[in-house]
Amino acid sequence: MARKSWMYSVLEAVQYEMRQDKNMTWIFELTPPVASNPGKPVINLETEFGRSRVVNTGIDEMWMAGCVLGSGLAGSKSVTYIPYQGNCMCFQMIQNHAGKLRHMTGGDAEMPVVFILEMTGQSPGFAGQHSDYEIDTYYAHIPGVKTVIPSTPTDAKGMMVSAIRDPNPIVYLYPAGLRSLVEDVPDEQYETPLDKAAVRIEGGDITIVGSGGSMPEVMKAAEQLQQEGAGVEAIDLRSLKPMDTETLVNSVQKTKRLLTVDQSYYTLCPGAEVIARVAENVDGARFKRIAFPDAPPPASPEMFLWMRPNADHVVAAARKLLD
Amino acid sequence: MSENIKFSPETTDTSQTPSTTRRTFLKAFAGAGAAVSLSGKLAWANGEIGFWAKDLPPEKLTEMFSTMLRIRWFERTMVDKMLTEPGYRGYNHFYPGQEAVAVGVCSALNNTGAFEDVDLIYSTHRPSGHAIAKGVDIKKMAAEYDFRATGLNKGYAAEMHIADKSVGFMGADGMIGPGPVMAAGSAFAIKARGSKQVVVNFGGDGTYATPAFHGALNNAALLKLPFIYVLENNLYHQYAHYSYSCPMKDIAEAAGPYGIPGVVVDGQDVLQVYNAAKEAVDRARAGQGPTLIEAKTYRYYNHWGAPGAKPGVLGAFGYDPLAITSFRPEREVRAWLARDPIDIFRKTLVNWEVMDQAKADETEAAVKQEAIDAFAWADEQPLCDPEHGVKNVFVEGTVPARQLA
Repeated sequence: MARKSWMYSVLEAVQYEMRQDKNMTWIFELTPPVASNPGKPVINLETEFGRSRVVNTGIDEMWMAGCVLGSGLAGSKSVTYIPYQGNCMCFQMIQNHAGKLRHMTGGDAEMPVVFILEMTGQSPGFAGQHSDYEIDTYYAHIPGVKTVIPSTPTDAKGMMVSAIRDPNPIVYLYPAGLRSLVEDVPDEQYETPLDKAAVRIEGGDITIVGSGGSMPEVMKAAEQLQQEGAGVEAIDLRSLKPMDTETLVNSVQKTKRLLTVDQSYYTLCPGAEVIARVAENVDGARFKRIAFPDAPPPASPEMFLWMRPNADHVVAAARKLLD
Repeated sequence: MSENIKFSPETTDTSQTPSTTRRTFLKAFAGAGAAVSLSGKLAWANGEIGFWAKDLPPEKLTEMFSTMLRIRWFERTMVDKMLTEPGYRGYNHFYPGQEAVAVGVCSALNNTGAFEDVDLIYSTHRPSGHAIAKGVDIKKMAAEYDFRATGLNKGYAAEMHIADKSVGFMGADGMIGPGPVMAAGSAFAIKARGSKQVVVNFGGDGTYATPAFHGALNNAALLKLPFIYVLENNLYHQYAHYSYSCPMKDIAEAAGPYGIPGVVVDGQDVLQVYNAAKEAVDRARAGQGPTLIEAKTYRYYNHWGAPGAKPGVLGAFGYDPLAITSFRPEREVRAWLARDPIDIFRKTLVNWEVMDQAKADETEAAVKQEAIDAFAWADEQPLCDPEHGVKNVFVEGTVPARQLA
């Protein structure tokens, strides 16, 4: 156990798996698979495993996604790290190929691959094309691909281990705004399930559900609401597909109030799916969702920060449900 | 080597020092100024490209010089702001080192008049040079780069998405790939409506690796579109040398299979860039289809921002932590600084007696002040109204503020 950054935690997981599996490959552009951490050895996948297994490639995300998919089909585990600006360039490869090949081939195709898709949405000023967060909705919609999104370095490591070991194609969303998080993370390999939400705080009055980049604000709001005397149950989805309906339903069964918080656009945001599943299974509950408006993220930090759901927005919405 | 590739002298013969080449070059023009008097070497070097720049009037040459300086000092002023003002929020992918490309190309275009007449350019995430060369107002750019409500795009764009249709500057683009395809699409519309406009797509060496590179050139060639792909090979895509993404030395070779001209040009020499661009523009306007121009150039700063730079000093040296895989050696930066496009053009203008050193210095001082004034003006501009974030999504109205329950 040591205090580790998000990136160090993830690369520690990958390094271990690549040492076990001599065929496993990693494709990247822009973001080198390198991380350092106080008191720990530097991890550099490129120098450790060489440029035949760890490839710095051109700005061609279709190739990156196709390369790991093809590697998987040919029998090798493979991972690609696609930076935020290219995270939809590879959509076709994941949506129409990775998502469908197993089913189309009657279960014949094997795709033990991980698409790490970075997403921003937390950084004001990047504007439009470099501020996307909505890919959680896009990728979670695809059948045949598991779409997961950690919100802590500990989960980031455990879910990376599980993703690499999973025989299915995994979209592993990487909220770039959480990259600065540091916490105690175990040194050994461990698996965190890819189908379980995490109940971060237990409470009986209101259920607040978020994922990825929205979780720090959800937790901040939960603390404030608790101080005001409300029993908050805060849930981190962690997996968007499959979605852990049971945990969500059990919680709202108890609280009868559900608030969802997303940095994704409002229409079809993950919270919309959460509310739909709970509404189908819980009688007499009240619902609210807040999300980024259905507008591209503007450059101006003044506009952007007003639009992005924060702890104050969460508290205000929760109070309306609690009244 | 494909037959339709043309070479300029300073890109093929690296054994010559720049000054020697420059002297040879100037000597050839000093006396006669006529094509027949050209040395054999130069005639070979320029191939079929006419030396159109020699016919440019002094006013035009002076304007080109000022425009290069305007790009240089706009960027240098901003570099210094980023380095010295902790509260300054603007950022940029800096263009210095590449000024001759933007100015050489845009000087061969029609940049004024109605939107239906003006030539169009599509830019990249490194847009300052293209925008300024096309005639975008630098005060409005400075304000936009600092997220001001009165900026070029009202604070929605910042550096990577600036656009100004009024001068045919169709916009910066933060993505690598879609730009050239959209640019070819504009060329398609222009051809279909019988306009004489041409479309230039600026793209870096990194664009070669994208599927869009093929899509744009293939369709532009098939449909004989008035389309010019200016590939600015500054040697690095993001933080990696272009040898990581392109198997050949000259990307212009890629033109061969499409049956279109592929021209390698010295991107540090604005007149050579102009010559190649003029040839391509004339061709496009005459309905003869697209051209691929590869300008060999270099960016003095790192991919993004000003890491490694010092206030008041041109260029960035030293280690950028994101360049772990493909580190840019300081000697390489210094070698390119020694062939500075503004120095090269200044010497030519003095030699041609378009201006003397004093006039050149005076011009530079005035342009530098203009850049300083532009950023000072931007500093005084109002910040955006937060609630305007839900405007401009559609032509009409606003979208609901969904962060509020």
